[in-house]
Amino acid sequence: MAAELVPLAVEDLSVVYGERRAVDHLSLTVRPGEIYGLLGSNGAGKTSTIKTVVGLVRPACGCVRVFGLDAVSDGRRVKERVGYVPETSLLYEALTPREFLEFVASVRHLDRSFASERVRNYVTAFRLEGEFEEPIMALSNGTRQKVLLIAALLHQPPLLVLDEPLNSLDPRSVRIMKELLVRYVASGERGILFSTHTMEVAEQLCHRVGILDRGVLRGEGTLAHLREQVTSGDASLEEVFLRLTEEGEGVQAAVASLGDR
Amino acid sequence: MSWREAIRLSNVAFAELSLQAIYAFRQGNLAPPGPAQATVARARRRVLQSKAIISFVLALIAFGAAVALRATYYRSNFLPVALPPGVFQAGILTGLLSLDIAFLWWTGMQVLPTFLGSGVLPVLEPLPIEERTLNRAAGLLYLRLFDLPALTILLGTPIMVGVVLGPLVGLAIVPGVIAVVGFSLSLSLLTGRFFVRRVQGSRGGGGRTVVRWAYLVLWLVPAFAMFAFVVTAPAFFAVLGNLAAGGPSIGNHLLLVTFPFTLATLPAVVAGGSAGLGLDPVGWTVLIAGALAYLGLACWSVVWVMLSVRRIGLVPPAVTLPGPVARLDLRPQRPALAVLTKDLRIASRTPGYAFLILLPILDSVAIGLLTFVSAPGSGAAFALALAAVTTAALLATFFGPAFFAIEVFAYSYGRTLPISDRALLSGKVLLIAAMYLVAGATVLGLTLARVFDPVLFVAFILAELPAVGAAAFLELGILFRRARARGLPITNLYASAWYAFFVSIPGVVVAGLPLVAFRIASSGGAYDGLLAMTTVALGELAVCGPLALGRRGS
Repeated sequence: MAAELVPLAVEDLSVVYGERRAVDHLSLTVRPGEIYGLLGSNGAGKTSTIKTVVGLVRPACGCVRVFGLDAVSDGRRVKERVGYVPETSLLYEALTPREFLEFVASVRHLDRSFASERVRNYVTAFRLEGEFEEPIMALSNGTRQKVLLIAALLHQPPLLVLDEPLNSLDPRSVRIMKELLVRYVASGERGILFSTHTMEVAEQLCHRVGILDRGVLRGEGTLAHLREQVTSGDASLEEVFLRLTEEGEGVQAAVASLGDR
Repeated sequence: MSWREAIRLSNVAFAELSLQAIYAFRQGNLAPPGPAQATVARARRRVLQSKAIISFVLALIAFGAAVALRATYYRSNFLPVALPPGVFQAGILTGLLSLDIAFLWWTGMQVLPTFLGSGVLPVLEPLPIEERTLNRAAGLLYLRLFDLPALTILLGTPIMVGVVLGPLVGLAIVPGVIAVVGFSLSLSLLTGRFFVRRVQGSRGGGGRTVVRWAYLVLWLVPAFAMFAFVVTAPAFFAVLGNLAAGGPSIGNHLLLVTFPFTLATLPAVVAGGSAGLGLDPVGWTVLIAGALAYLGLACWSVVWVMLSVRRIGLVPPAVTLPGPVARLDLRPQRPALAVLTKDLRIASRTPGYAFLILLPILDSVAIGLLTFVSAPGSGAAFALALAAVTTAALLATFFGPAFFAIEVFAYSYGRTLPISDRALLSGKVLLIAAMYLVAGATVLGLTLARVFDPVLFVAFILAELPAVGAAAFLELGILFRRARARGLPITNLYASAWYAFFVSIPGVVVAGLPLVAFRIASSGGAYDGLLAMTTVALGELAVCGPLALGRRGS
C-alpha cells in the first residue's frame, strides 16, 4: 500500500528519557479504516509513543510517519492531519470552551460556518450548552474531556490519536464516543490510534491491538490472533494481556500479600 | 509539637509552590529535561532571587527616606513651604510607610493567584493532621511568600532610621513597620481572593470581558498608590506646612489619627520634634490612642491571616454556575490574530498579565492628565505628552516579553496544534504594538483640549511604532531561542525576574534609540527630529523583524 494512504506507520521507534528507555524499537501500523488499540500497564510506553506521534517527544531512533509524512521533519503538516486527546486534560484554564475552540479553529484555518456547525453538533450531543461560557478551570474532568474530544474532532482529521479518551466521561458520553469512533473510520480512509487500560473497551472497539510491556511490543493482531498466540481459544483480552506481559502470575500473590480481609 | 509539624509541612508545601510558580505544571507546562531534584532546586533558587530583588527595592526606598531625613539642608529648597523638623520627619516617614505598604500589597496581589491556583493546600487536607496544625502550616506557607521583603521592612527600616536619627527613634518606628506588614498581608489576601473569584471565575461573553477589565483596573490601585504618592508629595508637604503654621486644630488631630501618619509621628516625636504637630492634650490622646489602635489592628490582621489562609485556599477559584444556553457559533480568525485574542482573553482572567497590559495605558492616563495643568498650546504640555508616549513605548517593550510566558499555559497541548512560530511571534508583537498604540491614543485624546500640534504629535506616535515592533521582535526572538534550548520559562514577578530583565534591556535600548535620535535632531526643528526618528525606527525594524522571523516558518 502507498505510504501516503497509511494513517500511521511507526518504524523501529525508541524513546529515551535520560537513562530510561521508555519505548524500545517499536514498530506498528494503523491501517486505513482501522481502530488500533494500544494496551499496556502503567509506564509501558503508550503515552510516550503517542507523544512522539503528535510531536511532543523526539524519538531517539526510528521514525513516525503520518500519511507518509515524517512527524519530526514535517511536524506542522502532520499536526494538521492529526486530532489529539491527551491523557491529562490540561487546557487553557482561563479560557471558556467557546474561546478555546475558537482558538483551535483559527490555528487550523477552519471556515466559520464549517467550524460552527461541527461545534453546534458536538456541544448538543454532549449536552455542553450550559457550560460553554464557563472558564475551563471551573469545569469537571469529564466536561474538560468532552471539550478536548470536540477540539480533536473539529477539523475532521484523517488520523485520531486518543490517549485514554474515555476517562472521566459519563456512561452516555462513553456510548456516544464509542459509536462515533466506529462510524468515524467506516469510510475506510481514516485511522485511529487508541490507548486504554480498559480491556472491555479495547475488545469492543479495536480492530487490532498491540500489547506494550516495558517499551516492547509483546503481541499484536486481532483478538482471535492473540488468543492463538497464548494457545487459549476462549481467553478474554484481559487474560491474553496478562499472559503476554507475564504479569498474571503475580496477581494472586499480590492480592494475598495485601491481607485486607 | 504542632508548630514544629506545621513548619515541616510548610517547608514541603513551599517546595511544591515554588515549582508551580516557576514551571506551572498544573497549567499544562512540560517538565524541563534533567533530574527532578535539580528542577526543584532551580525553582527554589529563582523564587529566592525574585524575593531578593523585591527586598532590594524596599531597602532602596528605606535608604532614600534615610537620605531625605538626613538632608535637612535641602529642606527649604525642595519643599514648597518651610516645615518644623518634626513635621518634616513625620512627612518623610509617612511617605516611607505608604510606599512600603503599597509595594508589599502589590507584591502580594501578584503572587496570590499562583498561591491559590497551585493546589498545594487541598493536597494536605485529607491527611490525618490536626486542624490547628493545618491552619498553622497554611499560614506559614502564606507568610513565606513575603518573608524576605517583610523582614527587610521590619528590620531594615528601623535600622536606617536609627542610624540617621538615633537608636530610640529607630525603635519608635517599629509599631509603624509592624502595622505596614500586618495590613499588607491581610489586604493582599482579601483583594487577591476577590480578584480570583470575580475575575478568574467569570463567565465568558455578554460584555463580561469589559466588567473583568474594569475590575482589573482596580488591581493597579496599589501600584498607582506608589506613583500617586510621588506625584502628590509636594502638595502633601504643603498641607502639612499649613497645618503646622495654624497650631493645634481639628485638622491636625484628624491628620494625627490618619494611617500611616500616626505611626510616622511617633519617631518624629521621639526625635524631639513635636513642634507644629498640634500635640496639645487632645493631640497626645489622639496620637497614642491611634497608634495603639493601629498596632492592635495590625496584630489582629496577622492572626486573621493565619486563621483564614487555609479556608480561603481551599475554595476553588471558580465554580460552574447554571447559565443560559450560549451562542454556539465560532468566529475563527487569522492565526496571529487568534494568538492576540487568546492572550487578551487569558489576561482578562489573569491579573498578573492584565497588569502588564494596563500599566502603560494607565501610566499614559496619569501623565496625560498632567497636561491639563499646563497652559494650552504651551511647550510644557507638548513635552509632557511626548514624555507620556515615550514612557508608554518603554513600558510596553520592557514588560512585553512577559506575554511569551502565557504560552506555558497548556504548553504541551498547544505544541500539538499546527501553529507556526511566525504566527505565534507575530501575535505577541501585535499585542505589544497594540498596547503602545492604545496608550498613545489615550494621551492624544487627553491632550486634544490642550491643542499644540496634533499632526506632529500623531506623527511622533507613528514614528516610534516600528521601533516598538522591532524591540518586541528582538525580545521575543531571544525568548524563542532560549525556549527551544531550555524549555519555556515563566517571566512573572516571583519566578524569573532576572530573566525578564536580561531580555528586556536590549528591547528597551532598541525602543529608546529613535527617541534619542529625535532629541538630538529636533534642535534643527521638530520635523527634522521626526525624520531622524523614523529613519532609525524603520532601520531597526528592517533588522530585527527578519532576524526573529527569518527561519521560523514552521
